[in-house]
Amino acid sequence: MSKHRLLAMFKGFDDSLPVLRDIKAGGCAGVSIDDVDYLSPIEHPDIDEILERKVNVQKFTFTGAVFGVTFGFFFLASAQASFLVQPQGGKAVVPFPTNFVLMYEMLIFFGIWTTVFSFLFLAGLLRKRGTLYSEKLTVDQCGIMLEVDEHKLKSVKEYFKKQKSIEIREEAVT
Amino acid sequence: MEIKDKIIDENLGWQRINEDVIRSMDAPGKYYWITFAVCIAMVLCAVAAEIYQYRMGMGTVGLNNPHMWDMYIATFVFWIGMSHAGTLLSAILHIIHAQWRKPIYRFAEAMTTFSLMTAGFFPMIHLGRVWNLYWVLPYVSDRGIWPNFRSPLVWDAFAISTYLSASALFLVIGMIPDMAILRDHAKGWRRKAYGILALGWRGDDRQWRVFRKTYMLMACFLIPLAVSVHSIVSSDFAMSIMPGWHVTTFPPYFVAGALYSGCAAIMTLFIILRYFFRMEEYMTLNIMEKTCKLTFAIAMVWSYLNIIEFASTWYGHNTYDKELLINKANGPYAHIFWLMLFCGSVAPFALAFQKLRRHMPTMFAVSLILQLGMFVERWMIVAPTLSMAHNPHQWDVLYGSIIEWAIVFGSFGWFSLLFLVFVKLFPSVSMYEVKELTFHLKHEMEEEKEAAATSSKSKAGAVGKPGLEGA
Amino acid sequence: MSLKNILENFSDFRRDAEVGGHHDYEHRWAMSIDLNLCIGCNACSTACYAENNLGIVGKEKFEKGQAMHWLRVERYWDETDGEFPEQGASFVPMMCQQCGAATCEPVCPVAATYHTPDGLNAQVYNRCIGSRYCSNNCPFRVRYFNFWSYYEQSWPEPLNQQLNPDLSVRDKGVMEKCTFCVQRIRTAKDTAQREKRQLQDQDFVTACAQACPTNAITFGDTLDPNSKVSKAWRKHQVERGPYTHKKPKENAELRGYRVFEELNVDPSIMYLERVRETEV
Repeated sequence: MSKHRLLAMFKGFDDSLPVLRDIKAGGCAGVSIDDVDYLSPIEHPDIDEILERKVNVQKFTFTGAVFGVTFGFFFLASAQASFLVQPQGGKAVVPFPTNFVLMYEMLIFFGIWTTVFSFLFLAGLLRKRGTLYSEKLTVDQCGIMLEVDEHKLKSVKEYFKKQKSIEIREEAVT
Repeated sequence: MEIKDKIIDENLGWQRINEDVIRSMDAPGKYYWITFAVCIAMVLCAVAAEIYQYRMGMGTVGLNNPHMWDMYIATFVFWIGMSHAGTLLSAILHIIHAQWRKPIYRFAEAMTTFSLMTAGFFPMIHLGRVWNLYWVLPYVSDRGIWPNFRSPLVWDAFAISTYLSASALFLVIGMIPDMAILRDHAKGWRRKAYGILALGWRGDDRQWRVFRKTYMLMACFLIPLAVSVHSIVSSDFAMSIMPGWHVTTFPPYFVAGALYSGCAAIMTLFIILRYFFRMEEYMTLNIMEKTCKLTFAIAMVWSYLNIIEFASTWYGHNTYDKELLINKANGPYAHIFWLMLFCGSVAPFALAFQKLRRHMPTMFAVSLILQLGMFVERWMIVAPTLSMAHNPHQWDVLYGSIIEWAIVFGSFGWFSLLFLVFVKLFPSVSMYEVKELTFHLKHEMEEEKEAAATSSKSKAGAVGKPGLEGA
Repeated sequence: MSLKNILENFSDFRRDAEVGGHHDYEHRWAMSIDLNLCIGCNACSTACYAENNLGIVGKEKFEKGQAMHWLRVERYWDETDGEFPEQGASFVPMMCQQCGAATCEPVCPVAATYHTPDGLNAQVYNRCIGSRYCSNNCPFRVRYFNFWSYYEQSWPEPLNQQLNPDLSVRDKGVMEKCTFCVQRIRTAKDTAQREKRQLQDQDFVTACAQACPTNAITFGDTLDPNSKVSKAWRKHQVERGPYTHKKPKENAELRGYRVFEELNVDPSIMYLERVRETEV
């Protein structure tokens, strides 16, 4: 059975929020809220109450930071321990105060880079936007994107039209 | 809520926001190119001076035995300090949800990155053998030689590279949704370039959610990072045993000074952008006022730390430190010392008056005075200590050479050049966040109206709380 | 491998100056300079120029403070303070103090200056990148930077023939300082080794000590209890290590002190105070 991808465009957030709520309440037969992608020119924190999806960036960040701090210490200490012809100035070969300063920097360095890489990965960036994408999405319109089976296509389109959708774009998913 | 208190007009159309900001990136006019040429000339001055210094040695700078460091280090600290306001303020204000940061944080972050790129030159220029610079990096060499991790200069290398990459990433990540706007709007090669920078952004809920988290996490990292970077820069001085440098309060003093000069720089650039790009609707006087208040608060913190430093030196009764303090106020550098105190502690009182805060020419002048004050502050940290340290046989007064001043001068040209390129290639106002700002403002005002309507029904004369005034 | 190294020798790597440091000292070269004997003739400084290939900078650069005299004779004028009459000039030969806990060492970003098992602050010219932090952190201000390529004009033909072949001529951008004539130490050690004997006191002295007409400078190894310098340090009750406030000053015979001792840098040079009658 072939599938179709739909993108229903709405005039702003205020028009599309009730639609999302309605879908969640089962207002659109055969469409689950979990299949819906919501496209918007700005960030809407309140949408999370409806969509209820998790973010895992912080786990990567934590791993990166912990790696940075441990790697930092062992890197510095092993470099210092194998380099004994080095200035003393009355200080120990492996001095903690300096190493703590550098470990701190390395914690942040690795923390930030893992955050950024996990962002690129988890946000699904670095891939094609798809043909449905409309340039109005970066101006002032919001969109609800979902995949439906062919036999439901008509009813779902009807539903969106009823909900004051400005435009409905569709494509067949191969 | 009156218009006067609002940070931005909530009825700005989103289409218009896009157009207004993209208009600022239109092909530049005559004055832009003149400024551009002047900046290039300034950079060329510095390049010529650097070539001469490279060939002849550091003697061209006029340094001598007590004065091993001079204006280069002072300028380095100045530029590092300038870099702090952008990222640090952006991150702090983001975490505390201060809405008024949104129209101004983009150029402030760009300022951060560019002043770091300027600052980074100075430790290099100042080296006697710059061609061996890479020895500071911790790389595995077949001779088993490492840099000396005890040296604050190596900490500097670590801290600045971390800070530069982190603040550049913060800027780039924060710009992704705007890059998508530009990609959808631009034509030709620009469309392709912005397309690459937008990384395939389409604004779905997953992207926004991860984006929000990422941005918050980065902000959380950047605050301690920025504080640590300038603390480490202050360690260059505080870790030494020289009188006037070995000061416990130096790290907070440097961080306060950094925020101070950075805020002053934000004010300057704010007024320039507001005037030249006709951004009056985005960079409103109300935002300026908040920036001014913040600057004033930081100026007072800085002044306080100054007084604390003087007082603790005075009470400490360490001969070297005390003599140096007296010499600062009364010796060969006295005029610079008093200039610093005037520009840094007296001039900011202009920011305490609302009439002056709303008068842009005055604010422009004041912001420049504050920056001058912060520049000579760094000079007052470096020079007097060296001129009057422990050994009285090696006391000397030095005011740099023409070569040194040419390079310092050129660094301002380099910074302006980078900034000029930036404002024409990237949006200096964050479009998507201004949209968010107007969106939330509008909703808040509607809610308020409703609340007022219901409360006036029950109790006449009740007034709604002023809404989004920022934190 | 290096992880094993860290774990096995960790306590050793954590030893700092208070407990003797990581190195066990083979020698601790030191000096005693008697200011009673110093006449301020600058012979030591001249000898240093000849021995260590110091750049001759000329009048103009000297006035700018860019001179390279590793050993300078500092001149002070004792002005009258009302109670005592003016006492005229006094001299302090000032060179690198080869501190035990030197402040110049930990600040070098590339480890170009370090502490040797001989108790010297070695300066590795080839490693120096010229950040000049070491000099800035030296309370004595005895580190000298090659601000220019001094060698180009210092020794015009045929003066270049007088250069000491035992050590290098430095180019611009490098820090340098008194080494306690490390090339002489090296030669003496090599000779002693060849002759299969211990290094003796007075096998060699530094150029300044050799040139001093009044024998004001005594050089030697403080680890050798019978060396002249050890005896002098003992006689004046000056000890190595952190500064202590036990200074029995009532005894006029005890004239020893170390410059800026209170900064706790543990200098290796003991100066003997000049004594003179108050009515000159």
